[in-house]
Amino acid sequence: MAARRVGGGCWQRALWLGRRCRLPGGRESYRSSSSSPPLGKTVDNSQVTQEEIVLPRRKTWDKLAVLQTLASTVNRDPTAAHYMFQDDPFLIPRNAANSRLYSLSKESGRNAAKYIIKNFPQYFDKTFAEPNVPCLMPETLTPQTEGVSEEALRERIHLRMVKESVDMFDQLLQAGTPVSLETTNSLLDLLCFYGDGEPTPEKEQEEKEVLEEAGVDASEQKAPKRQFQRGSQASGPRWRENSHAERIFKIMPEKNAHSYCTMIRGMVKHGAYSKAYDMYIDLLNERHKADVHTFNALIRAVPYLKERFVERWELAKDFLTHMAQQKVQPTLLTFNSVLKSLRRCGGVGRTMSLFVLKEMEALDIEPSLASYDHLLSVYYKGVDAQSSDIISEVLNEVEKRSFTAQDPDDANFFNTAMQVCCDLKDIKLAYQLNKALEKGDNWKFLDVDRSNGYWSKFFSLLCMMEQIEVVLKWYKEMSSSLFYPSPKNILDLLQALDAANQLEVIPSVWEDVKQLGFNRRQDLLEEFLSLMSRDQHPSEIQLAFAKCAEEIKAVHEPAGPGQVPLEWTGSALGHVVVLFSRAGRTQEAWNMMEHFQKINRIPTDKVMDEFLNCAKQTNSPDEAIKMVKLAASLGLPLSQRLKSRTEEEFELSETQKKTLESIKWDGDSSDSDSDSSDSDRE
Amino acid sequence: MKVEVSYRKKLQQLKTSENKKQAVNKLEGLDSEGSVPQGITGDTQRLNPELVKAASAVASSLPRNKKQTESELLAQLRRHEETTDKQKKGGPINLRNVISEMTFKRQSPEQWGARLSGRISLQLDEDGQRTRPERSSAMDSRRTLKVGKRLNIFTKASTEPEHALKTVSSPTIWDLEFAKEVAAVTAQPPRNGFEEMIQWTKEGILWEFPIDNEAGMEDDAEFHEHIFLEKHLEGFPKEGPIRHFMELVICGLSKNPYLSVRQKVEHIEWFQKYFEEKKELLQEI
Repeated sequence: MAARRVGGGCWQRALWLGRRCRLPGGRESYRSSSSSPPLGKTVDNSQVTQEEIVLPRRKTWDKLAVLQTLASTVNRDPTAAHYMFQDDPFLIPRNAANSRLYSLSKESGRNAAKYIIKNFPQYFDKTFAEPNVPCLMPETLTPQTEGVSEEALRERIHLRMVKESVDMFDQLLQAGTPVSLETTNSLLDLLCFYGDGEPTPEKEQEEKEVLEEAGVDASEQKAPKRQFQRGSQASGPRWRENSHAERIFKIMPEKNAHSYCTMIRGMVKHGAYSKAYDMYIDLLNERHKADVHTFNALIRAVPYLKERFVERWELAKDFLTHMAQQKVQPTLLTFNSVLKSLRRCGGVGRTMSLFVLKEMEALDIEPSLASYDHLLSVYYKGVDAQSSDIISEVLNEVEKRSFTAQDPDDANFFNTAMQVCCDLKDIKLAYQLNKALEKGDNWKFLDVDRSNGYWSKFFSLLCMMEQIEVVLKWYKEMSSSLFYPSPKNILDLLQALDAANQLEVIPSVWEDVKQLGFNRRQDLLEEFLSLMSRDQHPSEIQLAFAKCAEEIKAVHEPAGPGQVPLEWTGSALGHVVVLFSRAGRTQEAWNMMEHFQKINRIPTDKVMDEFLNCAKQTNSPDEAIKMVKLAASLGLPLSQRLKSRTEEEFELSETQKKTLESIKWDGDSSDSDSDSSDSDRE
Repeated sequence: MKVEVSYRKKLQQLKTSENKKQAVNKLEGLDSEGSVPQGITGDTQRLNPELVKAASAVASSLPRNKKQTESELLAQLRRHEETTDKQKKGGPINLRNVISEMTFKRQSPEQWGARLSGRISLQLDEDGQRTRPERSSAMDSRRTLKVGKRLNIFTKASTEPEHALKTVSSPTIWDLEFAKEVAAVTAQPPRNGFEEMIQWTKEGILWEFPIDNEAGMEDDAEFHEHIFLEKHLEGFPKEGPIRHFMELVICGLSKNPYLSVRQKVEHIEWFQKYFEEKKELLQEI
């Protein structure tokens, strides 16, 4: 068989080498083909024959070593999107919503393929690959053993078929065969875990995504309580009153500690907290010992069992004392559950959380990121005038080492910490947090959504606290490769540019905004226009501004099919007129002026003055007259002044003068003659 | 909880300053481990003479141990007189002093701290000024992770052998799902092509580097057993057309990648058997 792959002449040479190097077996490692041993032999032989040849010890590399070394040489490319999107340039996402959508659709594509393989295994029975790749082959999910027996029940439990297992169990009971305690316990495990529902992996994945999104949105709106409630409500089906689990539990002839424990865990998981507590009391009455996972679940249930903060803490402490009495060793997860419950204990939580951390230290349990996350939430939840002692100590701890995931709540740490840095307005802490993120494997705790939120907050903080050069440098590096700016980020950036008086960067920011797809957001457009039109700028910048204004104008007009044009607001329209006027685009400015009547708004004085200036510069007295007419028709008090300005600053022909004078308004028409020279048309 | 309730009541009563006896009763309830009534003889003059008379009347009405009852009652009255005097003079209440007078059944400074801070955070709206100066000083001492007290609930257990035995049971569905959940926390999509290849290698989709082209093949025989088959030709004559033929057979077999060594040897043996049978025929020729 070996001859299949090894060519005719190669193995002869390999054999010769093998004889020379005296390596065992026929399978050669790649190091055997190195030429150093023969070379060493000849050199030594020529010199002193007494020296021993020491063959180097054969190194064994694991299968991933080469790839990991290669992967460590590659850094992030700041100009490219994430690797998973690098397929078709058209399908590279441009903003956060799209990136989420595309990554989810990639995942759903994979799920669709798995679904096809699972449901039509008859088409996938040929194995072409040598060696076979078992993970791509369909799995056998149908139970093999037929008939009603405990074996069959065990198999169904193993395959996680909830309904079939329950039916089989009932059949067994009806037939009178006793089911062993172990099997009943594993059936209870299955039922309690799934809470009487069926395991649906796609739905679980979706729910997790929904929860994540809900969590990210809520944290951006700074309402952690809402997120907590939403999370607790959306997690899985609720515990039913007379579920199968309860029924089977009741009819069990003998129950051991495991039965009680699994029932408690199931009840806590599905929201039946008081029942879980009652079950725990039963367990104590039966003089069983609960295991550590049960205690963890009970401690997590504490905020739902009591209302007042002190009572909650007392109950948690009771559970911990019971643990100590029953000689159950607490684990990291125990303390994390305590800290999680302390999040909802207000001021009591603040004091107690530090004691809990000291307890962990005394027991040589290293806190995980989840512990620090809960600690930060306890201390920095919405109360103002905080000191940064706790978070700087936490960051000092975190940046020392590379963490591994031990608790599902670990993933929230970095976002919470960055939120705290933003609240404290401390940029140094944020830099320290970034450094902690780069250490070892810590970057893995941020998935695509959380990473977006994290860097978005960091960027907002940067805009607030740092110089504009630093901000722009970060912006260029980060945007579109590491995170996608949110509308809030763009607003912050504009404010920073305004504060640093670098408004000429605005047109390039506008390009980015177009790419991000935010060019239809009313608030962003207002901000852009107001910043651009506020002051007079040198002419190239003014021209660039006018081009932006033109594109913004295009958004408000009916474009292709299916595009609903935005409604003009008065201020936006005024700004556009001003921008056009300053760039000397009189005709377009006049078109915009006419829009005012359509939306029932009145242009401000500034707008009209600017327009007049523009008309003067481009020597178009007709436009000026039209505007005076418009002003008069709107009955503006400014119209008088406009008229006089027109008469003074423009060179009008006789007809124009007459038109001007004939415009009716409330005040007396002045008959003062202005220059009677002939007009110079353009 | 008892202390908290009674303390609040006490505060109300001191504010309204009425019904001293109720406060005394609460104090008495707390002071169940209270000390033996102190010397009564000295300070009875401070008490209201009517009260003293009432106390002796009560003592005489009770069936037994009149003297002791009377002394206890008088001591109690004296105590509450003292307290009311002190607090009358004291003015704004100093929380610490009041609380330090009371004795708890369950003595734990953390508990006290918890209640204090809990109440402070709840009552900041009501007692803004009064409690804040104490709060700031108390907060500073609590704001470090390094220094502080622990809960003192658990003790570090030495690794006992029975614990090791207990974890032999197979993982339940809870454990499996939890492990999956924890693994999913750090399972991020690959950031470059190499990481993607690492992921595929772990799943078994990709060949392992360095490429071993015998991967997945279970072949017990070494390559030389496939190729050098002359040793199986010992049963055949050394010369002649049969030998020639068999050498060609061996050459073909050595290049055949699809047969196992056993099958090749069987081939040769079949030929051997065949020629043996035909020996008589051949010898005639």
